[in-house]
Amino acid sequence: MKKGEPMDQEQLVRVYKTSELARRFEAKIVELAMAGELPPALHVGAGQEVAQIAAIEALRPDDYILYGHRGVAYMIARGVSLADMLADMAGKEGATSRGKGGVMHVVDVPKGILGESGTLGGSFVVSVGVGMALKRKQPDTVVTYFFGDGTANRGPFHEALNWAAVQKLPCIYFCENNGFAISMPTSRSTAVENIADRAAGYNVPGVVVDGNDPVAVYEVMEQAVARARAGHGPTLIEAKVTRLQGHYVADQQEYRADIDTVAEKDPLPKLQQTLCDRGILTQTDVDDIQADADQQVEAAVAAMRAAPLLAPEVALQDVYA
Amino acid sequence: MPTRTYSQAINDALAEEMQRDENVILYGQDVAVWGGIFKVTDGLLEKFGPDRVFDTPISESVMVGAGVGAASMGLRPVVELQFADFVITAGDEIFFKAGMWRYMHGGAHTIPLVVRAPSGGSGFGPEHSACPEAFIMHAPGLLCAVPSTPEDAKGLLKQAIRLDNPVIYFEHKLLYQMRGEVPDGEVLTPFGKAVVRREGEAVTLVAWQGMLRRALAAAERLSQEGIEVEIVDPRTLNPFDRETIIESVKKTGACIVVEEAYRTLGVGAEIGALLVEEALPYLDKPFKRLAIPDVPIPTSQHLVDAIVPSVDDIYRAVKDLVD
Repeated sequence: MKKGEPMDQEQLVRVYKTSELARRFEAKIVELAMAGELPPALHVGAGQEVAQIAAIEALRPDDYILYGHRGVAYMIARGVSLADMLADMAGKEGATSRGKGGVMHVVDVPKGILGESGTLGGSFVVSVGVGMALKRKQPDTVVTYFFGDGTANRGPFHEALNWAAVQKLPCIYFCENNGFAISMPTSRSTAVENIADRAAGYNVPGVVVDGNDPVAVYEVMEQAVARARAGHGPTLIEAKVTRLQGHYVADQQEYRADIDTVAEKDPLPKLQQTLCDRGILTQTDVDDIQADADQQVEAAVAAMRAAPLLAPEVALQDVYA
Repeated sequence: MPTRTYSQAINDALAEEMQRDENVILYGQDVAVWGGIFKVTDGLLEKFGPDRVFDTPISESVMVGAGVGAASMGLRPVVELQFADFVITAGDEIFFKAGMWRYMHGGAHTIPLVVRAPSGGSGFGPEHSACPEAFIMHAPGLLCAVPSTPEDAKGLLKQAIRLDNPVIYFEHKLLYQMRGEVPDGEVLTPFGKAVVRREGEAVTLVAWQGMLRRALAAAERLSQEGIEVEIVDPRTLNPFDRETIIESVKKTGACIVVEEAYRTLGVGAEIGALLVEEALPYLDKPFKRLAIPDVPIPTSQHLVDAIVPSVDDIYRAVKDLVD
């Protein structure tokens, strides 16, 4: 594959800003969950959000996203309302899935956020159909499915990649390999070293990239998008990412050998340092970005608290069109 | 009135709807070049081209799951599973994705998907012979059609393609060659409207597809003995026309459900529960079910015949009830 377009400074700053917002928003959700105000129903994406957001930076606003269950950075990158996502957690008015899916199934079709399967990796097969529709009805747009390494061991991965490849669909498969399927290390669950090695089985490009490096992620994603738009079919990207926290909010991670050192791999402070070292941001800029993120989060919490609970009869709605 | 086979009627429905709406696509294993394992889709590739009629790998999960994704983005896919039993093979995609994708996302998506599922019959063994309608009827979010005549095969399929909800459309394998009248012009059969196939006072038989044919044959014999049974064909199981069955039971005071499916928690069990809840005062006789005892369906024909309700079984059940 030829090299993709490099990411420009403005984009890199945007990735940083959005990552700060996602990190702080998720930390607030955990805080509210531990305090009992929200259910503990978020799989925190801390550490992976930089790769997620850098990848989305390579998409256009009219492209589509199906996502995995680790965090809400995808939605934040697409401008989904923070208050509405808190309402998803709280079962309140404004909830994007109206109390049916919670924060795991945030949906905002006009912003290209199509949703998420409850069964892990269940969106592989859905992504193929989305690609089939885009190819026929919205040519030149693409769909990206962000998924975890663990789900690549489910059958739908195989069926979907094969058929998407056969049809040369505008689908991009973006694996976030954080080294764990819940508690099980990838080394014990998966026979290949890299999920991307499986691309050979589908005759599509397979690319491994450092998920802690947003510039590198953007570049491979940009290539994959160009390939998909040109009608050449899917790419399987594997970003080696860092899961900073547990599988769920209160996970003590007894199974984890790198628990004391994982924080050193956190890509967010590194990105901040890079931007400052290169003179793109000053410390004042960073302080402002962080303060602005905190302010957005607090405003969202206030809006969620003010919103009424969804009416009980909502449980009976939305089954049929 | 022109006559068509059940299989031709399905083919006609597909051709007409594909002609009417370019968003309708048709795919499944062997459906395009070969015309389908039961030859139901013969000629459609030639009519509509490979962009709208195409073969798939042996991948039931992605066939159905892609149907959900494509439907959510504005296509109206018709997916053929080679055997109805495979709604279980693609269980996640049928029950969770087709049935719940819309609900789980708060109504943000609309899923105009039709899954065609050849059911029933015999000789293909435990994983290729079932009529798994009860599984579908039990699951929220899935509409369920069980056409019993060429006219309904056409009308229900055309209607299913136009509905904005996922429909599991069971086409009975032993009916494919059945010939019947199909009116000229637009044929659309509404969902949720049962039809009384035969009127009588002795007992209400509820039956569809293969079992409807046997019920009608048994009714002929009973009629010769002066026993007139009423036969209700539900046509769709979700939505389910409770009123027509209750009205019939008000008249007859008795009900037997005949189904080509496992007895426990089958469609008949649901109808029995319905009658207990809403029509008990009208029942003069015990509610009865004729169904497959709770065993898988074997391959050898004489063993199949030993467990699937026969014309004799229906005849005897009615006699026992009215005598």
